[in-house]
Amino acid sequence: MARNLIRRLPILYQNHPHRLFSSATAAVAPSPSPSPSPTDEEIVEMKGVKVSGRPLYMDMQATTPVDPRVLDAMLPFYLSRFGNPHSRTHLYGWESEAAVETARAQVASLIGANPKEIFFTSGATECNNISVKGVMRFYRDKKRHVITTQTEHKCVLDSCRHLQQEGFEPLEEIGRICREKGVPFHTDGAQALGKIPIDVEKMGIALMSLSGHKIYGPKGVGALYLRRRPRVRVEPQMSGGGQERGIRSGTVPTPLVVGMGAACEIAAKEMEYDTRRVTSLQERLLNGIRSRLDEVVVNGSMEHRYPGNLNLSFAYVEGESLLMGLKEVAVSSGSACTSASLEPSYVLRALGVDEDMAHTSIRFGIGRFTTEAEIDRAIELTVQQVEKLRNMSPLYEMAKAGIDLKSIQWAQH
Amino acid sequence: MDRASVLSSMASAAATAVAASPSRAEALSLLRSLLRTASKFNDYNVREYIKRRSLDAFRENKSLSDPSSLASAFSDGKAQLEVAKRQEVVYSLYAPKVKSIMEIKKL
Repeated sequence: MARNLIRRLPILYQNHPHRLFSSATAAVAPSPSPSPSPTDEEIVEMKGVKVSGRPLYMDMQATTPVDPRVLDAMLPFYLSRFGNPHSRTHLYGWESEAAVETARAQVASLIGANPKEIFFTSGATECNNISVKGVMRFYRDKKRHVITTQTEHKCVLDSCRHLQQEGFEPLEEIGRICREKGVPFHTDGAQALGKIPIDVEKMGIALMSLSGHKIYGPKGVGALYLRRRPRVRVEPQMSGGGQERGIRSGTVPTPLVVGMGAACEIAAKEMEYDTRRVTSLQERLLNGIRSRLDEVVVNGSMEHRYPGNLNLSFAYVEGESLLMGLKEVAVSSGSACTSASLEPSYVLRALGVDEDMAHTSIRFGIGRFTTEAEIDRAIELTVQQVEKLRNMSPLYEMAKAGIDLKSIQWAQH
Repeated sequence: MDRASVLSSMASAAATAVAASPSRAEALSLLRSLLRTASKFNDYNVREYIKRRSLDAFRENKSLSDPSSLASAFSDGKAQLEVAKRQEVVYSLYAPKVKSIMEIKKL
């Protein structure tokens, strides 16, 4: 009997160690953790930053997750239906071509175009290059003006700069007048596609760039809309076997194109539901942050923005340090795409944002898969970080004391 | 018969059958299947999306009375269920090592 008890004591020690301590030792003993401490597998460390889980994703303008319905449509073309759509002599080619043509019709239907006006490319950047350089080089003997806006994506501006070197002249205006004047109007529809209804007829669009990975489709694919009546001609930028009616040579990547088509079809069905939801989530985010923080500025117009994009500036808080503190929320600063340079975003400057505010901006992107809980978590984390940084900021202290920062004469060193 | 084979025989019957207007029980069973499949997804965002979207779709279509639109909504729902079941398997094969922060921590 005694031997059994003795054999059991070590087990008692293991399971209830604190019962056997005196109160003094119990006070210094480490309290047992309620759950097992995180193992190595539950922490992700990259670039010196540790997070305990995958951050909640709020950077939909950078890219969107692939919708499971899109992946479902694509997989067969990575498995058994791997044919080249330009192979004319066997089933693999025929079924691949049929899939490409179905996808073409799906993209066309979303923007009110004819399938013959859709050409597949590697993405919106390639489309922008074809549109700007291709049109201008085609008409180089007749016209030499390009009209663009300051808020265009870098690839558009760079294409215009290239043309400038070839002797074309850039001007600055907005393209609605184009239709009246008979000027081909190109728009980069990458961000708008699937979020606002686009009708190329109603909007007088002659060329449009579309991107797959902004509408829950795969990366690496895009589509160029080229109006047929009145006909818009472009000089091809990719030479080769004459695929896509000579507009863009290269084997059409069937799985990617099928994915883009599926994404467009889903976007057409879900646009109303998604837009309603995303708009209300955007309001929830903005109101949640504004109710707890003052001096929050929304960059860009509140009326003329597509839903899901919220670009905020927080006065007295530096954008990069705010981003570094927001490691559990995946957001980006200002207007990305040129985030490698430290120059405040040229887009924000064009929108009239003061230089000191441009450095403080954060871009939230809400999408189809964003949940209310994620919005609430993002509000909480953002407010915490901003408050923490403002409490450390001497500028904020001075502003709170009523000093006008613009009147300060900063000493020269 | 076990549940899996019941489901697959239902699926193949549905694929070959002419679209028929669903009974209330069939519609509810479809919704339950969608929600059950959703709950198996290891991806937080996809899981929540399927749950929310299915409930909202059924709620929206609650007032449908015309048999052909009921039938087409039902067959669309069944097609979506098939996609969800396949993708649940695919997602489970490629589960990331670390879960979403939304599933791990309380603030």
